[in-house]
Amino acid sequence: MSGSAATLEPLFTFLNYSYNTFETNFYKIPGSAVVARYVKSSHQNDPGRTLLEVILIIFAIRTLLQSRTRADHSGKHFIQFDEKEIDDLVDEWIPEPLVYPLDQKEQADLASVPVIVGPNGPKPKLASGKTVVNLASYNYTGLAGNEHIKERGIETLRKYGLGSCGPPGFYGYQDVHHQLEQDIADFLGTEAAIVYSQSFSTISSVIPAFCKRGDIIVADRGVNFAIQKGLQISRCTVRWYDHNDLKSLEQVLEMVERERRKKKSPLTRRFIVTEGIFDVDGAMSDLPKLVELKQKYKYRLILDESVSFGSVGRTGRGLTELYNVPATQIDMLVGSVANGLTSGGGFCAGSEIVVKHQRINGTSFVFSASMPALLAVAASEGINILRNSPSILSTLQENVRAVRSILDRADYIAIPSHPASPMIHLYVRLPSATFLMPQTPATPFTPSLPSLAHSPTSPSFKLSNPLSVAPRDPPVFDAELEERLLQDVVEECLAQGVLVTRAKRLNQELNPVRPSIRLALSAALTKKESEKAANVVKAAFTKIVGKRR
Amino acid sequence: MESFRATPTFSFLLFLFLSPSTPFVSHSRPKGLYYSPSSTVTTFDDFVMPASMPSSPMAISPAMPTPSMFKKKKSTNAMSTAASYLSAVSEADARARVNKGSPGSTPALSLSSSVTTSSEDTVLEESDDNASGLYYPAVPPTSEQTFNTVHTEFGHCGNENYRYTSHHTPGEPIAGVREQDPPYYVLLTTYLSYILVICFGHIRDFFGKRFKPSAYRHLMVRNGYAALNSDFDSFYTRRLKTRLDDCFSLPVTGVPGRTIVLLDRYSSDCNVSFHPTGTKTRALNISSYNYLGFAQGNGACTDAVEEAVKRYGVCALGTRLEAGTLDLHQQAESLVARFMGMEDALIASMGFATNSTIIPALVGKGSLVISDEFNHASIRFGVRLSGANVRMFKHNNMESLEKLLREVISQGQPKTHRPWKKILVLVEGLYSMEGSLVNLPRILELKQKYKFYLWVDEAHSVGALGPHGRGVCDYYGINPRSVDILMGTFTKSFGAAGGYIAGNKNIIDRLRVSAHTGPYTEAMAPPVLTQVVASMASIMGVTMLPEKPASSSLSLLRSPDSTDNAITGLEATAYPGTAPSSALPPWMHLPQSLIDGSDGEMRLRRLAFNTRYLNRALRKLGFITYGNDDSPVVPLLLFHPGKMAVFSRMMRTRATPIVVVVVAYPATPLVTSRVRFCLSASHTKEDVDCVIKACDEIGDLLDLKHGDGERWPLEEIISRAVELVNMKHVP
Repeated sequence: MSGSAATLEPLFTFLNYSYNTFETNFYKIPGSAVVARYVKSSHQNDPGRTLLEVILIIFAIRTLLQSRTRADHSGKHFIQFDEKEIDDLVDEWIPEPLVYPLDQKEQADLASVPVIVGPNGPKPKLASGKTVVNLASYNYTGLAGNEHIKERGIETLRKYGLGSCGPPGFYGYQDVHHQLEQDIADFLGTEAAIVYSQSFSTISSVIPAFCKRGDIIVADRGVNFAIQKGLQISRCTVRWYDHNDLKSLEQVLEMVERERRKKKSPLTRRFIVTEGIFDVDGAMSDLPKLVELKQKYKYRLILDESVSFGSVGRTGRGLTELYNVPATQIDMLVGSVANGLTSGGGFCAGSEIVVKHQRINGTSFVFSASMPALLAVAASEGINILRNSPSILSTLQENVRAVRSILDRADYIAIPSHPASPMIHLYVRLPSATFLMPQTPATPFTPSLPSLAHSPTSPSFKLSNPLSVAPRDPPVFDAELEERLLQDVVEECLAQGVLVTRAKRLNQELNPVRPSIRLALSAALTKKESEKAANVVKAAFTKIVGKRR
Repeated sequence: MESFRATPTFSFLLFLFLSPSTPFVSHSRPKGLYYSPSSTVTTFDDFVMPASMPSSPMAISPAMPTPSMFKKKKSTNAMSTAASYLSAVSEADARARVNKGSPGSTPALSLSSSVTTSSEDTVLEESDDNASGLYYPAVPPTSEQTFNTVHTEFGHCGNENYRYTSHHTPGEPIAGVREQDPPYYVLLTTYLSYILVICFGHIRDFFGKRFKPSAYRHLMVRNGYAALNSDFDSFYTRRLKTRLDDCFSLPVTGVPGRTIVLLDRYSSDCNVSFHPTGTKTRALNISSYNYLGFAQGNGACTDAVEEAVKRYGVCALGTRLEAGTLDLHQQAESLVARFMGMEDALIASMGFATNSTIIPALVGKGSLVISDEFNHASIRFGVRLSGANVRMFKHNNMESLEKLLREVISQGQPKTHRPWKKILVLVEGLYSMEGSLVNLPRILELKQKYKFYLWVDEAHSVGALGPHGRGVCDYYGINPRSVDILMGTFTKSFGAAGGYIAGNKNIIDRLRVSAHTGPYTEAMAPPVLTQVVASMASIMGVTMLPEKPASSSLSLLRSPDSTDNAITGLEATAYPGTAPSSALPPWMHLPQSLIDGSDGEMRLRRLAFNTRYLNRALRKLGFITYGNDDSPVVPLLLFHPGKMAVFSRMMRTRATPIVVVVVAYPATPLVTSRVRFCLSASHTKEDVDCVIKACDEIGDLLDLKHGDGERWPLEEIISRAVELVNMKHVP
């Protein structure tokens, strides 16, 4: 007993010594006396409390020291391996190839993409040497190849060089960009506008700039791919309404409001996201009604006019001009400079606040070089020309009417597009009505006008599930067959000297898109030429689709 | 001057001084609009010349501040705050030094024989005033030298000593980022200034909401609408960034080449809004991404673009898969593939979108993306769209990468533990905020072992690195085909816009069909394509096929390995080879200097010299910089957010105005605010000298020189520049 005490003697001395040092040092710290007094008195009053506080302090230290990242190591799914095992696992692992090679159909698709030699325009020359009438490229206003624009472009080139060599924040924001933004804002009648350098990246950046997690977006089921990507990246709550069906929209808005009241959740930002003319089928939104709903339910409206800007309205201002709705009523009006003004890039017009916000938060604005000065000037010139010559749009509308009057009556074509839309989608209409054609009026491919098509004719109108992007009764079609037929039609048209194209889609679209041929009419073609081309298309449909049956 | 050397407290106070609540004015403001509140200012008004007074460019007298000390077009300069006071003092000091120190270098006003006929467009009207030293070279050209560029766009530099070749010596260890820590007081005061500014911001918000509700209306719930941007979300922007807003988004005009023309502006409401003064300032441009100096309004590439506009117009009309493909696209793509040494290439019309729309075509659910923590926003955007799992590794830290790889491969997918379908490692060749080069050799070793796929984003490195300008692979002497995907942009080195992806034929074909770019995005515009083709061909050199082989006398200028191969067209396909003439559009006629590649070579070697010179000079001066010596992106650490604004303003208001890019949180970690220089082949050695001098002076004033290592005095650095650049290691 005494032996063990003797061996422990140095340890006790050491402990005693270190306790003393600690104590003297502790009392040297200013304010330590207060702490000591506090600890003493609290221990005296309630010894259990000291224990509790010590545990709390240990816990706090532990929490602080823990890594704040996702602790995969300590997670219950983490399996501990030793180095040897890891090496074995690494050796064993066989990754999939980075990409799968194209299958035959995809190869054929890629090979069938037309290559234009020389300038693209109303009558381009193809690689085969053939000159064709172009109903495929976006040249609604016919500004492509405009000599005046070219001249101004060259002047700009000499003054600014080509590239802007920097993002707008860092000396990439040139006076020509500012000018273009002002021109667009003036043209549309909004307070301000902001120009992005690619039209696809515009809306997929505008949406996440405003909509954050927890915000609510009510979107059309038929929105284009860029919007889908924007919605995906914004991570907000999305509710869907039936394609171009404002009754359905109203129901969804009503439902969201009910939900909010029930949950008593705080007011979050709410947006309606839709398109002016839908890229997917050419249907047109009823803007006045849309604005009315948005105001009634206090939503903000993000309207993608990528197709309609520069293609409808008296001077090409888009839907706002067509319906005579002030552009200020639309909170974020997104459009394409590339398609509408045959230059490059996209824009978002809106109030000063909306635009300013994007200059800091629009990802693809902030992190991308601004567009070449030459393209900005070309777009500004384009606006000037549109403003001063309303004849361009009236020619375009005449062409649209002429082409529609031919194609609407064609036997094998179904057109979902709005009669005023210069972008016309052509579906295959197979001769037997029973064949793959469920005659649901709500499906968009009936030849009747879309505005009629979307009025619920069946009395038992039931809402699709707004939580799911899939509509209640999805259109039924044989995509593979229709694609094949349409491709044959495209080739037949090409043989006859008319360039048309299938609307190319990725299978990553949220809803399967019905295959179509997409015509893009142009003011650069005369009415006669357009009619002739339309007749070629009609004949090709008759020949290819008609032959099938 | 020494009395102004910033003490810690002083530099920390700077940030407060510069808050918009004190009426700070940007350097030029129209006369009569502003009354300076402080009485000290009036003494400085004597410096300032009335805008109407004619100024003689030669009238520089060292004794007293003279009119030419400010640019002619500049009007009243009201110095109301410490910053403007400081910059005025530094300017006066600079002026005195210039005149005392180098009597030999009188500002030569020789009208160089070289300015091309069409130069009126790019040279401003007031160009007879060379006070800033930006319009004409300091040394007049000799009779043998001819320069066919405009000096303000692409500097005249005939001295063959000021050349270097960017390359990595094999076997040499690849230095990681030399992260130097500043003294603790710098860190402490940096944090303190953030805390202070945040506190001030909250106090101002508190009172602002009560006394000036109209200014907060758009941040509050109003009329049944939630705020578009709540006061909390926008706090950083409103209360911190706004203080420095006069240093961002400066509107410019003209060619963003060696110099850039700023459109002066002022703010009378503390940087909330800016108004143009109508004047312009030409400044030395060390900010634009113009590595090879292809931002030119004159020259052979621009001539080719003009021809393209005449022939093709400005738009390709449509997407690539839907009747928007031109012959030019195919020619450019094959040239890009050859340039990169890959089988095939794909071109997209926007650099950002190249990443953000193509990554989702390669990876998806069940795949893992391993990404460097400092990767660009476009990569993150693309990864988020792809739906793949993401893990990050420490910036350029190969141990961290390997550890992560071992973990993820052994663990498999979260929860299910199924093996990953594939792993894609995403790195950048040259990090635009860090200036660091990827450790590609090590990554390729890891790739062998761990079987991941590798995507290298060469947005900044392509053109700017390597003896042949082909990017990081060229720099390290690595076969590019050992990398799966090389991505890059045309914005930076080629003076164009957009981006490319280069890889195996089957990968590229897959991307043509399955990436968003094919069916949904507009095709690249013909003028942009032409710029890409012309600039790329001039870097590669063109082999005339088949009857006209490149004449040997001219090809001497090219590196020996490519001269041997340049004779036959077949061997021209070797990497890094020349472009066959068949790869160019038949209408494109390039002058001899572009065809033999001597022009491109000159650009590469000038960039390499400037890059190494500035990097090493700044370190020799004692600054803390990040990154590799061969990186044309040079970040100089400032730490204090307040110093960013002062640095930028002082650079901009010097006798030779210099524009710089300052970056802070959230683009960088909170404490490492920095200024970033982007060098260009268009800069002359004198331009780099000018930047170094400016940094030296401002660095003294702002207490920025905290680096360790041997220091040289300024004069020694400038006189021994060639030696400094050619040193193997800098002690």
